Amino acid sequence: MEDDAEMAGHIVHALGQHGHCVDVSHDGEQGLSQAAGGGHAALIVDRMLPKLDGLSLVQALRAGGNRTPVLFLTTLGGLNDRVEGLEAGGDDYLVKPFAFAELIARVNAITRRAMQEGAEPTRLRCADLEMDLIRRTVIRAGKPVELQHQEFRLLEYLLRNAGRVVTRSMLLEHVWDLHFNPRTNIVETHLSRLRSKIDRGHAVELIHTQRGMGYVLRAD
Amino acid sequence: MSCVRISFLRTEGFRLSAIYAAAFALSVLAMGAVVMVIVDQAFRDQILQSSRADIAAVQHGYANKGMEEAQEVVEQLMAAPGASDFLLLQRNGKALAGNLPPMPAQAGAVSLERPGHDILGAGAHLAPGIYIFSGSDLSRIHAARKRLIQAMLWLLGAALVLAALGGALVSRSFLRRTDAMASACRAIMDGDMRARIPVRGSGDELDRLAGAINAMLDRISALMENLRQVTSDIAHDLRTPVTHLRSRLERADREGATAAEHRQALQAAIAKTDDILAQFAALLRIAQIEGGERRAGFVAVGLGPLLLHMRELFGAVAEEAGHHLGVVIRQDATIRGDRELLIQLFSNLIENAILHTPAGCRIALTLDVQDGRAIASVRDDGPGVPREEHEKLFRRLYRREASRTRPGYGLGLSLVAAIVELHGAKVEIVELPMPGLCVKLTFPA
Repeated sequence: MEDDAEMAGHIVHALGQHGHCVDVSHDGEQGLSQAAGGGHAALIVDRMLPKLDGLSLVQALRAGGNRTPVLFLTTLGGLNDRVEGLEAGGDDYLVKPFAFAELIARVNAITRRAMQEGAEPTRLRCADLEMDLIRRTVIRAGKPVELQHQEFRLLEYLLRNAGRVVTRSMLLEHVWDLHFNPRTNIVETHLSRLRSKIDRGHAVELIHTQRGMGYVLRAD
Repeated sequence: MSCVRISFLRTEGFRLSAIYAAAFALSVLAMGAVVMVIVDQAFRDQILQSSRADIAAVQHGYANKGMEEAQEVVEQLMAAPGASDFLLLQRNGKALAGNLPPMPAQAGAVSLERPGHDILGAGAHLAPGIYIFSGSDLSRIHAARKRLIQAMLWLLGAALVLAALGGALVSRSFLRRTDAMASACRAIMDGDMRARIPVRGSGDELDRLAGAINAMLDRISALMENLRQVTSDIAHDLRTPVTHLRSRLERADREGATAAEHRQALQAAIAKTDDILAQFAALLRIAQIEGGERRAGFVAVGLGPLLLHMRELFGAVAEEAGHHLGVVIRQDATIRGDRELLIQLFSNLIENAILHTPAGCRIALTLDVQDGRAIASVRDDGPGVPREEHEKLFRRLYRREASRTRPGYGLGLSLVAAIVELHGAKVEIVELPMPGLCVKLTFPA
């Protein structure tokens, strides 16, 4: 749901290239009735829409029992937008303007999260890497790996999104709860430390860097 | 002129003094009525009392020496100065003595109404058929009543005049002050944002109101100044990179020969655009923080755990850059604040220390409490900043000559200043005996 037709066009094109099929509504009321009809894997909702604003739209959807994952699009600089969006029942938010790789990665993440909902796993696994969320231990190829708290959280996030690209800002927000762009290479540093603990000395590397997009944990 | 009179009649002061005058008049009237009733009653009681005394004297005479003596007593009493009116009737109904015409014999208090000559008195039977009446003309009461009413009217008139004068005086001063407020407001509407409402310093309601309005105007002008500043910053600072971007794209369009060259130019343009947007976002964020709306969401934040969290976040980054990041908590403190912004505040200071010092520096985060105030500092033992630049550091878009080639937009410390201000805290650069830079934050108690 996006009232800016050019923006909507770009989004449809970008999602289409990644194999998604997209319905577009240009105002809140139309968007609500389309979304309430169901059948969507995820909703991308602009905060500012004519007739019915995005926040009220999602509140109405949630009140009607619709659990379709929602990605809010917010304008630049809205300090309180994120909290308001999440409180209204949104699953993630993205500040406009954004890179399309960012949008795709986040849509993938929220749809995946929605599919896994229900049974919260106690173990996460990727190839011969296994994480025990209760004992907070990590094993690679049968050998325990010692991780610091932040590294553990980083790996947990990568495992939960295994096989999908996560962007730098997704990591900043969801792993470190940082909602601004740091000037130091904090993400790269933590990732390279994690990588040295997880991948060093193993034939198969699990953590991969996607140039210009982000990072992905997968076993190929 | 008529306009002035109408505005005067409409003032609160006039309304109040009118109400006051009406209340005063009513109370004067009520009081007058009560006084009149009491005085009237006292006169009547006095008349009846003296009438009864006269009758008693006549009765005494009749009992002792008969009818003639009674007649004698009446005549004596009538001869006295200021005497009452009398009537002595004998058995055949004829007047034996007195100055009143015969009337029906009636015992007890009697009031006779004649045109222009009302008489109040008492009557009694000396013996069957023999009747004595003694009474007084009521004209004295009427005269007293008239004087009382006259006095009351004078009083009323004086009260009304005083109330009107007082009211006019009060409303005029009230009007003058509200007019001053209105003209200050008009001046502001006409564009003079520095106009303020005069305060007399008496601390009365109008002064308090004027003070509150002035404080509000100060706040509004601060916000407007802030907005103006942001707008001009954006105009100034984004024009340069946007111009560069445009030239770069134009050049790529004109000269780029191969697809690879085009691609390279496009990627550079995207990176440049991201820079511009980041700078834009930072300016807006500062403006929003300065707006103060985040204060509504303040919660208790433990600074000690926060600093330890900062070390977890940046310890590895500092090490990669060859630094050491340490935390010294002498005394933990909890403040009310915005955790997200506080994290950004410390991140900015720590990143500055990491980015602007040569490898091998020690960076220390300290926390202490002095006089009930939490004091946090971020210090390094790098080359420091010359003293004359300290003040400029927190200025928006100020970048030291030496750091112009490093990442950043010259907004880091003004963001710090905005977050500090939002928390009612103070930020300063402290001179140290040893080389290095120490940024000290003092939070309110």
